[in-house]
Amino acid sequence: MSATYGLYVSKQTAIHRLHPLTKLTYVLTCLLIAWIVPGVWAPYIVLLVGIVPVALMAQVFPNVVQNTIKTTIPFAISLFIVQGLFWTGGTIIQQLGPFSLKEEGLLFAIRGTGRIIIAVSGFLLLSYATRSDELMLALSQKGLPSRISYVILSTLQIIPRFQHKANTILDAQRSRGLETEGSFLIRTRALLPLVFPLLLGSIVDIEERAIALEVRAFGRSGPKTSLLVLHDTNRQRLFRRLLILVSLGVIALRIYLWLAPRFAA
Amino acid sequence: MISLSDVTYHYPRSDSPALSNLSLEIPAGQFCAVIGANGSGKSTLCSALAGFVPHFYRGKLTGSVEVAGIDTAGSSLAELAGTVGLVFANPFNQITGARFTVREEVAFGLENLGVPLAEMEPRIDEVLAFVRLTDLADQSPYALSGGQQQRLAIASVLVMRPKILVLDEPTSQLDPIGSKEVFAVLRDLAATDEATVVLAEQKLEWVATFADRVLVLHKGKLVADGPPAEVLSSLTLTKYGLEPTRYTQAARAAQAAGWRTDETTLPVTLEQAVEFFR
Repeated sequence: MSATYGLYVSKQTAIHRLHPLTKLTYVLTCLLIAWIVPGVWAPYIVLLVGIVPVALMAQVFPNVVQNTIKTTIPFAISLFIVQGLFWTGGTIIQQLGPFSLKEEGLLFAIRGTGRIIIAVSGFLLLSYATRSDELMLALSQKGLPSRISYVILSTLQIIPRFQHKANTILDAQRSRGLETEGSFLIRTRALLPLVFPLLLGSIVDIEERAIALEVRAFGRSGPKTSLLVLHDTNRQRLFRRLLILVSLGVIALRIYLWLAPRFAA
Repeated sequence: MISLSDVTYHYPRSDSPALSNLSLEIPAGQFCAVIGANGSGKSTLCSALAGFVPHFYRGKLTGSVEVAGIDTAGSSLAELAGTVGLVFANPFNQITGARFTVREEVAFGLENLGVPLAEMEPRIDEVLAFVRLTDLADQSPYALSGGQQQRLAIASVLVMRPKILVLDEPTSQLDPIGSKEVFAVLRDLAATDEATVVLAEQKLEWVATFADRVLVLHKGKLVADGPPAEVLSSLTLTKYGLEPTRYTQAARAAQAAGWRTDETTLPVTLEQAVEFFR
């Protein structure tokens, strides 16, 4: 097994080569526009103009589509049922037995779904095209405490190991005759002999890991260096500033649209 | 290089001392093995040398522990890191989890010390070659076997160029092949005269082949101290819950049967056994 970096898909594209902060700022700007620009279709326009082309360029479009659909569908279904059918007041467009489909509810659900799609696809795009350690290094260089970036990075790697350990304990308990299949009650009862060894074992692991980190001078204050080198360009710095300006502009516009009617009245 | 004077240590909420009136000196460049039964204080001694006793485990320490001129009690773990390297039994828990390749894992300590990039690369290449992991440099640390992970742990500490390397039973959780690989690295380390190494270990046959000196701990006390041939062949070893090497056992059985009864130093290694039975 060669090194894996969370969701990262290793490709040689211009998007992959961008500085992590450029990609992060871009995705956050897309998200901001989709969430606060008024209009039912705003998220979908951002999706088509902002996310889709970049996903295609990064050659991760199928991955983004697949996982966005998987993640969004449960939210979308509940939004459409709850908002579409149970909107109070509003224009009825279709009577479905005792329920009535409301236009306003439907539009709200479309907009809500769009916002979720943007959030999910944006972060998937970022994760597929950016190594998590490069992103964390970039954020550390911007002042993110090394302890926080350690927690995020190690969690990404330790969760699969945790699952592996849980399976080992489960197998061990099964071989001692623990019933783990069957009714809800049986499965619930099987949980305790699994959870306790897992938690106790993890506490011991944490102590040793803390020692290992101290040995490697993790607790030392003062400047740190990095084996990883991030490539940044003046053009990207300019682009990021532009994105921040756009974001501020959108926020200002939103505040104006919110305040204007109040002053007019 | 290492100097303990009258060290007594109690773990928190413990009435019996884990180390008791321990005094010893280990000069620079010496490869010193610490043996003893479970609970004899080997791990506590290792923790004390690296400062985790008392800084991490708390508890009560009297006497003084001085490593490379630093009084550990008056120092902090952050200051000691890089001066004293510690490797312990569980290879998996020594992987930081925050780096994605073997090479980056080795770099972690150097990054925290603020070593410049230009200096980092040759140092990493050097230790990876030393522990024979060069071919796996771009693999995930989690993809390695136990023996490889333990060598990675040793490399990750060695790269920081500690003045003293402390290893607390580094092979106790490894399979025989993994243990052999780690001992091969330790043997190389013993061959270089610069390294000051303290190795707590149960496998006496390995200790016998490359340690300069053997210390025996029993209930927190230092009960024997000398060259491996002398300490490991001593009759008192069993009294401290330790089993002599099979070479010594075979020689004793032969002596009981009348073979070379005049010989006072019994073999502790294969070579010495061959000589004895010739």
